[in-house]
Amino acid sequence: MSIENLNVSNSYLSFKLENETFAVTVERVHEILEIPTVTKVPKSPDFMTGVINLRGNVLPVIDTRIKFGLAKTDFTIDSCIIVLSIMMENEQITIGALVDSVQEVLELSSEKILPSPALGNKYKAEFIQGMIKNDEHFIMVLNIDEVFSINELHQMKENTSETII
Amino acid sequence: MDRFKAVFFEEATTLINELERVSLLLHNNPSDSSIIEQIFRIMHTLKGNSTMFGFYRIGDFTHHFETLYDYIREGKMSVTDNVLNITFASVDHLRVLLTDVELENSVHKINHENLIRGLIEVLNGTSGEESIKNNSSDHKIENKVSDSPTYWVKFVPKKGLVRKGTNVLFLLDDLSQLGATYTVSNTERLPDFKKLDPADIYIYWEIYVSGTVTENSIRDVFMFVEEDCELEIRKISETNLLDQDGFSAIARDVSLSIDEKISKFGGLVTNSSSKNRMKEVRSKIEKANEKSIVTSKDNSISSIRVASEKLDELMSLVSELVTTQARLNLVSEQIASSELVSISENIEKITRQLRDNTFSICLIPIENLLVRFQRLVRDLSTQLNKDVVFVSEGADTELDKNIIENLADPLMHIFRNSLDHGIESGEERVKKGKPAQGKILLKAFYSGNSVIIQIRDDGKGIDPEMIRQKAISKGLITADQNLDRRQIFDLIFLPGFSTAEKVSEVSGRGVGMDVVKRQITEIRGEVEVESVINEGTTINIKLPLTLSIIDGLLVKINATHFVIPLGNVDKCFEANHEEFVDKINDLIILDGEQVPFIYLRDEFDIKENCPQLHQVVVVKQDDRRVALSVDTIIGEYQAVLKPLGRLYKNVDVISGATILGNGEVALVVDPNRIIKEYIFNQINNEVLQ
Repeated sequence: MSIENLNVSNSYLSFKLENETFAVTVERVHEILEIPTVTKVPKSPDFMTGVINLRGNVLPVIDTRIKFGLAKTDFTIDSCIIVLSIMMENEQITIGALVDSVQEVLELSSEKILPSPALGNKYKAEFIQGMIKNDEHFIMVLNIDEVFSINELHQMKENTSETII
Repeated sequence: MDRFKAVFFEEATTLINELERVSLLLHNNPSDSSIIEQIFRIMHTLKGNSTMFGFYRIGDFTHHFETLYDYIREGKMSVTDNVLNITFASVDHLRVLLTDVELENSVHKINHENLIRGLIEVLNGTSGEESIKNNSSDHKIENKVSDSPTYWVKFVPKKGLVRKGTNVLFLLDDLSQLGATYTVSNTERLPDFKKLDPADIYIYWEIYVSGTVTENSIRDVFMFVEEDCELEIRKISETNLLDQDGFSAIARDVSLSIDEKISKFGGLVTNSSSKNRMKEVRSKIEKANEKSIVTSKDNSISSIRVASEKLDELMSLVSELVTTQARLNLVSEQIASSELVSISENIEKITRQLRDNTFSICLIPIENLLVRFQRLVRDLSTQLNKDVVFVSEGADTELDKNIIENLADPLMHIFRNSLDHGIESGEERVKKGKPAQGKILLKAFYSGNSVIIQIRDDGKGIDPEMIRQKAISKGLITADQNLDRRQIFDLIFLPGFSTAEKVSEVSGRGVGMDVVKRQITEIRGEVEVESVINEGTTINIKLPLTLSIIDGLLVKINATHFVIPLGNVDKCFEANHEEFVDKINDLIILDGEQVPFIYLRDEFDIKENCPQLHQVVVVKQDDRRVALSVDTIIGEYQAVLKPLGRLYKNVDVISGATILGNGEVALVVDPNRIIKEYIFNQINNEVLQ
C-alpha cells in the first residue's frame, strides 16, 4: 500500500495552456471531462466560466487561461475540464479547471522536482511548487490551492498591468 | 382531543419512558449523580408541562417526586431500595395517570393517594414501605381496597341553605374526591307540589364513602355549612362495603334505619369472605384488561417520532425523484408518444404530491423554539434586574425543521440584544412614562411563500444618527455619504459594528449583528431593523418556507435558463424591445399601470441574440411590483435547489442552481436581491448626478 501511495504522490498530470506546460499532482485530480454546456453565472468575474452539471451536482468551472492572464479563446476539440479538489478556507471543495489540453501523467521520483527558479518572476512564487525538466521543456508544478483560490485579486502574475517580458 | 393536550401526552409518554430507562440505570449505579440529576430534570419538565396544560394531579404528583430527587441531589438523602421501589411504582402510576387523568377509577385514585403518602413519608425520613408494597403487585390492590373503611354520612341541609349561595352539589362532589362514594338521595321531606318553594332545599342525602378517609376529613368537607345542616357520620365497616354484592340494594332501602343497615352490611361481609377469592380473580382480570386497553391505545397512537436523518434522506430522495421526473417529461415530449406523455404526467402529479407531503412532514411549528426563549427572557431579565414579559403570536406558524434549527442562534442573539440594550431599567421606563414592565413580542406569520418573524421590544430604540456617527467613526461609511433611513439601519449588520457603548456579559461579546445576518442569509433569509426612539426596535426576519425544492417559473435569456420563484411572480406580459431601451425613467406601462422594470439583459450583462419581442415577468416583493425582462418564458418548473458553492458566494442575485431535464444547469434568481440591488444602484446614480 505504501509503495502505491508513494507512486501516486509522485504522479503528475500535465496540461497545456497556449505554449506552456503545467502540472498538478494526480492526488487532487478526480477526473477529466469533455466540455459540456457551461452556464455562465451573471455578475461573476471573467475567469469564472460558469457552472456545469456533474452527475447531479453543480460544479463551478474556472477558465485557467484567464486566471493565468491569457486571452480567452474558443474551445477546441482538445479543450477539457480537469476536476480537482482544492482546499479553500480550510474546507475541501471541488472545482473544474478549463485547460487547452491535457498531456500525460508523469511518474517522477521527488528529486526530479526542482525548486522553482526565482528568475523572471513571471508568476508569483507561491503559485509554483517546483519545476520538472522533461526533455528540453520545463513543466511548472502548480500549487493549486493558491492558484484556484477564490480571490479575484490573486492573479497569476505579479502585476497584471505589466506585459510579459 | 385538544391538539395541545395531544402534544402533551406524546411528550409525557416519552418523558416517562425516559424516566423509566434512567431509573433502571440508577438501580445499577445508585450513587451516580448525573443520573439523579437527569431524573430530577425529567420530573421537573413533566411537572412544568402538566401544570401548564392543566393536569394538576400529574403536576402535584411529580412535584413530590421532584422534591425527593432534589433532596437526593443535595445529598440530604441517599438512594435506598426504598427510594428505587417508590420510583418504579411512581413510573407505573404516571402511566396510569396519563390514561386516567381525573382518576375516575377508584383503584387508581387510592393508588395515587398511597403513593403520595409514601413519597411524603420517604421525604420525612420514615419508611413509606407500606404504601409502596400496596402498589407493588396486583393482588395487594384488592387488599388495600378492602382495607379502606366505609363511612356512612347523613347530610340533611336546612331548607334555606341554598339561599346563602352554597351549592350543595359541590359539597357532594368534594366528598367524592375523598374516595369511592355511593350516594342515596332521600326525598321524603319533599312537600306537596303546591307548597314547594323552588328556592328551598328538601332533599337530603346518605353518602357511603370508602377510601383512606377519616371522620375528620369528612367533617372538613362540611366545615362551612355546619351551622346550616344536620350532619351525622358513622364508621360502618373496616372494609370497603361499596364493592360488595348486594350493597346498593341495602343502601337504597329507605325503609331501613342506619342501624338495621349496618347489621345487614355485616352479613354481607361475612357472606362475601368466600367470594373474596373470586373477586380477587376478577380484579386480576380487570387489571389485565386495563393493561390491554393501555397497550391498544399505544398502538393506535396518532403520531410517531422519526429520526431526523431519515427525514433528510427522504427529502433528498424526493429531490432526486423530482429531477428525474423533469428528464422523463423532456424525453416523453421528444418521443411524442401520447401514452408515454400521459404516464409522465401522472408521475409528475404523484411526484408533486409526494414532494408536498414530504415538505409538510419536515415542517415544525416555531413553538418548538419558544420555550427556550421564554426561559432566556426570564433568566436574563432577572440577571439584569429588569422586569420583562415575553409574548408570542403565531407560534403555530410552521417552518422547515432545518430552518428552525438554524434559527435558534440568531434569534437568541437578537433576544439578548433586546434585553440588554433595548429595554431600559424599570425606573428609567417609569421616568419616560412607559409601564415599568418591558415587553418583547415575537410574532410569526405567513406572507406569500415566506414566513416573517418579527421580534419587537418596547425599549429605548436606536437612534439612526448615532448609528451614522458610529459607522463614520469606524470607517464603514464616509461623512458625506447620503443614506436613507433603511440604509442607515442596515449598517448595523456590517461586520465590526457594535453599538453598545460598553461590552457587557450578556451581549456585545464581539459577535454582532453581522453574525445574525450571516446566519440568516445562510438559510436564504433576510433580516431588517426598524426602530423608533423610545418606542422600541423591531427586527424583521423573512424566511423561505423550505430550503430544498421550490416551485419556479423557468425562463430563458439567450442560452441561459433561469428559475424565478413562483411565489414572487405576479403576472406575465409581452413587450417590444424598444420599450426597454433608451428609457429615462425605467418605467413600462403594463395593464395601464406604470411599473418600474429591470432589463435583465443589461443587469446580467448578456448581449448576444437580442430578440425583438420580450417576455416580461412582474415580480412582487412586499408591496413593490417590478417587471423583469426575459427572452422567453418556458413554463412552470419544480426546481431542486443546489448550492452554487463557495466560489460564487459573492453573487447574491443568484440564490442557487438546479439541474434541468436535459442535464443543463439553470440558475435560480433571487428577485428580492435583484430589486434591492437595483434600487441601491439607482440611489447611487442619483447621488452621482
